[in-house]
Amino acid sequence: MKDCPLGIDIPAFIRFLREGHVASAYDKIKEKNPLPSICGRVCSAPCEVACVLKEEGGVVIAIRALERHSADYGKSRAAKRESQYNGKKIAVVGSGPSGLSSSVDLTRRGYAVTIFEALDKPGGVLRYGIPEFRLPRKILDSEINDIKTLGVKIETNFFIGQTATLGELFKEGFAAVLIATGAGIPKFMDIPGTHWGGVYYGEEFLMRLNLMRPGVFSRQSPNFALGEHVAVIGSGNTALDCARVCRRYGRKVTLLFRRSEVEMLVRAEERGYAREEGIQFEPLVRPVEILADQHHFVNGLKCVRMDYADADVVGQWELAPVPDSEFVLDVDTVICAIGHKPNALISHFDPALKINKDGTLKVDGESGLTTIPGVFACGNVVSNAGPLVAAMASGIEAAQRIDAYVKK
Amino acid sequence: MSFKVVNKLILAKDIKRLDILAPNIARKFQPGHYVSVCPEEGDERVPLSVIDADPVKGTISLIFLEEGQTTTKLGTVAIGESVFSVLGPLGVPARIEKTGTVVCIATGIWTAQILPICRGYRKTGNKVIGIIGAKTKKTLMLEAQMRLSCNTIYMTTNDGSYERRGLATDVLREFISKNEVNLVYAIGSADMMQAVCGLTRDKNIPTRVQLSPVMVDCMGMCGSCRVKVGGKTVLACIDGPEFDGHKVDFEDFHIRIKSFEELDEWRSRKSQLNPKKNESKTLTKFLSDFLKN
Repeated sequence: MKDCPLGIDIPAFIRFLREGHVASAYDKIKEKNPLPSICGRVCSAPCEVACVLKEEGGVVIAIRALERHSADYGKSRAAKRESQYNGKKIAVVGSGPSGLSSSVDLTRRGYAVTIFEALDKPGGVLRYGIPEFRLPRKILDSEINDIKTLGVKIETNFFIGQTATLGELFKEGFAAVLIATGAGIPKFMDIPGTHWGGVYYGEEFLMRLNLMRPGVFSRQSPNFALGEHVAVIGSGNTALDCARVCRRYGRKVTLLFRRSEVEMLVRAEERGYAREEGIQFEPLVRPVEILADQHHFVNGLKCVRMDYADADVVGQWELAPVPDSEFVLDVDTVICAIGHKPNALISHFDPALKINKDGTLKVDGESGLTTIPGVFACGNVVSNAGPLVAAMASGIEAAQRIDAYVKK
Repeated sequence: MSFKVVNKLILAKDIKRLDILAPNIARKFQPGHYVSVCPEEGDERVPLSVIDADPVKGTISLIFLEEGQTTTKLGTVAIGESVFSVLGPLGVPARIEKTGTVVCIATGIWTAQILPICRGYRKTGNKVIGIIGAKTKKTLMLEAQMRLSCNTIYMTTNDGSYERRGLATDVLREFISKNEVNLVYAIGSADMMQAVCGLTRDKNIPTRVQLSPVMVDCMGMCGSCRVKVGGKTVLACIDGPEFDGHKVDFEDFHIRIKSFEELDEWRSRKSQLNPKKNESKTLTKFLSDFLKN
């Protein structure tokens, strides 16, 4: 229970489920988690890793699946929560997981919350970054509708920094601003040939699929060039999502990553799904160069095999390329999903907002304030790459801090 | 918020102008800004540069060429109807300062993009020389507006059907050999901008260009608009669209644009787009073959 960043009372909700009270279990989860049906699907489930039954040699309880069950079957009709409006307005920038959870918490505390979202629909990474088969859009829409019924206002097509600056928000009467823009900027690969046609970044690829034409998976062809044999570089969730999407289009997919399969950054369960779907794994491989044909389209991917060298100081095994092990993979599309950078774009337009060296927003550890008074930050824009639950937990924490700041 | 179309004009063949009600964008408009438009839910988003904005009425004007699926759809939006989403203003506004003589050169549809820049330079007290080019007289547009916003204007058509025959870059070559120019601002196809930068590099004239690569979300989140400027990979959607022309790697830019252009060809193929129609065709073919035998 300690291991859930949100602090859901896991034994309690499982007890309710065992007794058959699904609705009570749902209410129990909803106390701490504002988006149960989303977490029940895409959470990284640190609770299952820490499950006590594992040590005793038993089978680990599938807590995530239980959460999903109680969210799907125990949901009552959305009721408007009675909370006294305390006359203060809060602006939240970004409608991703941390933005949504913090706005729910703030509304419960009595604030009038307005979420500013730059895309045309709310949801942030839940909408553009996670493919439909992992998180159906219907579920997402119903969760967001629940949040709207609580009284949260969502302004779409509103880019804070360009359409209005932070200063203008304060002039509009917002008592505090919470920046929850997340980490969505792709890391660039520094190998030759990334500019050829047919090379996509994971975010670009998923965004093209998720934002354009919902439900593209049925029989339709993608609206961009996707070759017959796709190489996906990376070992995170984004890479696996890209690979599985390509597989669903009937493409041959090879997943390349630098380290071994056990060290992948995804749950063993997801890895199993990918394997079941027929994705070819190529562990311990590093891409060296992307080759192209005369039309400047991808023709092949030159890779080198890696192997473990001596252990380095940090504790991770150091990898060294195996001599004379270069080989060329015959692929015609390459998708790079090697990681994200924090989306601190807002500091482009407000230079008073300072950023750290790694691109995250500079935040005071105790108060959660950024370098502008009244502006808070939470989620992956502060912590760089973190799991979904951690972002939601930090959103709720930021809501508490804002409450303390505004009341002061 | 609904983005209502309040006015629509057809300027030339396949070129349309839309005035869209978007008070938040009109309020913040500066020359060089662009918006990302999505005509219907689930469509591709197209980046279109804002030509003009009226903060009183709250409208922005967009001029676009109907070439792809999305822009064609945008062209069919009638007066009074709404566009699904307009996001903006995006990008860094053009740096406009008093420098002296400024040559603004643009060809084709990009003439629309240079118009706010010309107006901006004229307003700050520069001498603005406009050079615009088009394929034929029919596709030459915004002549009157350009005449008003430039001190001198040169027009060229590729087939000589109007004013002068030739390329816009030929006029520029002549002009910079005879006159002293402080700045060249070029917007056009990759080839044209490369040619302009080649001309001005010899003469050491500072050159600015606006790059318009393919963009998906226009907020720096997808990386599809990556271009190489000064040896570094930058995103045109947030760091641009204006760049120092002498630093842009046009070879790279060309490849980036081309990789999607070929796609349009691929997409417009009937069989890819509409497999069912294809089936019926084969059926009729089969029947006709059958009857022949």
